[in-house]
Amino acid sequence: MKGSSIYTIVYSAVLGIVCALLLTGVSTLTEPYRKANAAAEKMRNILHVLGVPFSAKESAEELIRIYEKSISEEQYGALRVYVYDGAIAVPFSDLGRCGLIKGFLALESDKRTIRGVTFYEQEETPGLGGEIGAKWFTDQFKAKTIFGPDGQPGIRIVRGGGASETNEVDGITGATMTCNKVQAMLNGAIEEIVEEFTENVQ
Amino acid sequence: MFNSATTLPGGACGPGLCGGRCKQTLKDGMWANNPISIQILGICSALAVTNKLENSLVMGAALIFVCAMSNLLVSLLRNATPRRVRMIAEVAMIATFVIIFDQFLKAYYWDMSRSLGPYVPLIITNCIVLGRAEAFALQNPPILSIVDGAANGLGYAAVLAIIGFFRELIGSGEVLGRTVLADNWYTGNQVMIMAPGAFLALGFLIAFANFIKPPQTEKTK
Repeated sequence: MKGSSIYTIVYSAVLGIVCALLLTGVSTLTEPYRKANAAAEKMRNILHVLGVPFSAKESAEELIRIYEKSISEEQYGALRVYVYDGAIAVPFSDLGRCGLIKGFLALESDKRTIRGVTFYEQEETPGLGGEIGAKWFTDQFKAKTIFGPDGQPGIRIVRGGGASETNEVDGITGATMTCNKVQAMLNGAIEEIVEEFTENVQ
Repeated sequence: MFNSATTLPGGACGPGLCGGRCKQTLKDGMWANNPISIQILGICSALAVTNKLENSLVMGAALIFVCAMSNLLVSLLRNATPRRVRMIAEVAMIATFVIIFDQFLKAYYWDMSRSLGPYVPLIITNCIVLGRAEAFALQNPPILSIVDGAANGLGYAAVLAIIGFFRELIGSGEVLGRTVLADNWYTGNQVMIMAPGAFLALGFLIAFANFIKPPQTEKTK
């Protein structure tokens, strides 16, 4: 009886259904929390990258209140822009080495100088590629320009210690692939910004 | 004689719930047969998440939960599971508990879930969990299986905590994110945060464990 194919199929089906029901239950139960966490995380990063002052221990309600008070969302062509006091933040996302990387690039009101960069979703290797989320890495972008010395738009992530130009930052040792992908997605965002803003100004 | 054990599922349990084998099982998993330092299993995640003590502790908790619960379920179903599909069935049960823990982290402990990244879902492929299900839970009653799963989880958690403590301390001069070795005279040793540091720390730990209790193969010579 236990060795028969029918029994095996029935057993597998029942086990599969029970496991699926269990997971559906847990997923439904935690869904509102997970969604709220993801939304709050995005807001926190927009506030952070634009330099809006807020405490890291702020409750979710307080965070939403600060966000709605200080940030306005505008649409330029295909580009969704978050504006605070003249400075803008634009989202970028693309595949990194291990998974999807999402973040924001913020520019000062001159649309040339970087105010900040943040990565709010990434699955890179902790300690290596994961360091793109670390403060030492993202802080390097502050006050850099999105144009090179030759006037061409784009930033470069160079091998550790080699950054010398105003559009270069130091890369992460042991995470060359992540750095290359990040550089490509940042330049994609910069290209879009230049198209929407700078060319009209010049 | 008072004997409540007979009413428990898997009535093979004798006096003291598991035939007096509880203590031995616990000791085996945590020390004598520690999954990492003796069996050298599950070191992938042990190397990957131990650059901070906090990460190590949560990862240890995850393994205790998953290993104990999957052992319990595998043991409860051990007489009903057809041998042909037992591996797939075990992995399905393990995956269920891993995803439950992952969802729980995502809901209530968001920051930690983000910093552990893919390593919580990867517990599904951790050889300690499947190893205990195959080697222990399939032959033993449920209560004893929980003890065995928890003991192995604890053994894993203890090793992770020790490695995490030293890597964080030497690598960044911090313990649980609080600065212990002041910046003005201590420079963090970057190599301990990066992958080679994990190998170094694990190597020293296994060497130390073997120093205290030499491997049995050498003893019998």
